[in-house]
Amino acid sequence: MKVTPTGVGLGLRAAFIEKVERGDADGRIAFLEIAPENYMHRGGKAPQRLARIAERIPLLSHGLMMSLGSTDPLDRDYFANLREFLARIDAPWHSDHLCWSGLDGALLHDLLPVPFTTASATRIASRVREAQDRLGVTMAVENVSWYLQLGQPQKDEPDFVTEVLERADCRLMLDVNNVFVNSVNHGFDPYAWLAKVPLDRVIQLHVAGHDRWEEDLIVDTHGNDVRDEVYDMLAWVLERTGPKPVVLERDSDIPPLPRLLDEVARIDEVYQAALARWNARETPRARHGS
Amino acid sequence: MAREQTPERGDAPAHEPTMAALAAAIREVEAPAAVRQDAVAFLQRHGVTGRDADALLYKGAERFLIYRTLVHNRLRAATREFIPRAVARRGTEAFGTDFAQFMAAHASHSPYLRDVPGEFVAWVLPRWQRDASIPAYLGDLARHELLEGEVRNDPHGGESPTGRPFALEATLVFDGTARLMHYHWAVHKLPYGTEDTTVPDEVETSLLVFRDAHAKVRYLELTRWAAGVVDQLLVQGRCVRDALQQAAAALGEPLDDDKLAKAATLFGELSDYGVLLGAG
Repeated sequence: MKVTPTGVGLGLRAAFIEKVERGDADGRIAFLEIAPENYMHRGGKAPQRLARIAERIPLLSHGLMMSLGSTDPLDRDYFANLREFLARIDAPWHSDHLCWSGLDGALLHDLLPVPFTTASATRIASRVREAQDRLGVTMAVENVSWYLQLGQPQKDEPDFVTEVLERADCRLMLDVNNVFVNSVNHGFDPYAWLAKVPLDRVIQLHVAGHDRWEEDLIVDTHGNDVRDEVYDMLAWVLERTGPKPVVLERDSDIPPLPRLLDEVARIDEVYQAALARWNARETPRARHGS
Repeated sequence: MAREQTPERGDAPAHEPTMAALAAAIREVEAPAAVRQDAVAFLQRHGVTGRDADALLYKGAERFLIYRTLVHNRLRAATREFIPRAVARRGTEAFGTDFAQFMAAHASHSPYLRDVPGEFVAWVLPRWQRDASIPAYLGDLARHELLEGEVRNDPHGGESPTGRPFALEATLVFDGTARLMHYHWAVHKLPYGTEDTTVPDEVETSLLVFRDAHAKVRYLELTRWAAGVVDQLLVQGRCVRDALQQAAAALGEPLDDDKLAKAATLFGELSDYGVLLGAG
């Protein structure tokens, strides 16, 4: 039976893995999310530490380099290594991004935007299904922050995301901060976005902070505390989905672990309050149903 | 309906030009200047026209270059983290130019970010060697700095001792992380600070590098004789007898008792360090 945690967890980073290993986060996080690329096909200390941590804390897997939006073939060696790794950590599912990261074999190590078209959704959905078959675990895809429209869109982002989810019959890793970042950069209502995607497909959520680069541009740097607007959006989603694992991501300007754990605690307050409202909604429904 | 039946590709080729144009904006050395000068022409050159071009440029030419900034910043930072002293001595601007050329000509082909510094160094070393304005030792320094991360992260290593005794006719088994490095400069003796500008001594240097049982990267400086023996055993894969004979011949010296005694001491030390695992 695979572990499927809920509650609030933290994205594990090299900056504080040693402290997590020695127990500094024990009892303060529901789980850890890891980027498998940081541990796959790798020896030495990092995988040893992860193995010791996994004995105490459940792990969720969130990849970076599947390049689902690319037209290049899926990387056979990468998938073989990932499959072996996911089995080793007993991952209940695996997620990656609705983006591409390389073309013609050259890998750019970033989350590049995809065209919002049916052809693109069809191709990506096919690759998600193939990924799921290759890995032997449920796949989830994450909505990304995008700073360019990659060509004339045929549909808006939530319709595009929905099309991918339905064609692939996969789950959604909903990054609430990415919705907020895109809503600011491209001028739409983030709640209208959230209302359009199938929330019943949400399997996990991300929250993070971002940075303003220009007057009309914020960038999803994961380099700041989570903003109040993002907390509100998170609560709005949880009130509708019920308990899901929520991950705090931090990748730059990483504060000391105790400060990150304080932020996890603050997210958990929002989480618990939202769940109470979800329970209040669900209980009468259950009563009517019985 | 035909598209539905062949979802593997959909009508992907229709979208490849926009992806190719963005990849070109990220990779081509002249892309920033070309986009700033005439973004529409840049896109046209990559097969993107009409509404697709309008969409890509709807926030302006500068925004079209944002992914170039994000990608180069990330990959340069990862590379600097692995070879900080080589980058400092090369200078930020020159390193940026080298890196932009690497991205245009080669880029990364590994899904692992930690491999990018090695890909860059492998690509740039022959170019540095051909450029007389670049200190001759810089390549050795970059290779040496890179080693720490490569050996630390090597998926091999930690194998058990073979349990088989040494024999003249046997090959020897080393830890999977073991590497024999040869430098023309004693870059391994340079101070660690990135501000330091000491020029290393020009002296042939051989190091046996490996990850020990505590996951620490170890560097053993070898004499010419020891380096020759290890080269024959580890790199050439010869048996002990042949390795000793070849190593002596390479020095142009007889395989005398002194060399045999030194080889025995070397094998004992390497076994104690845990890098020599026994006979194969």
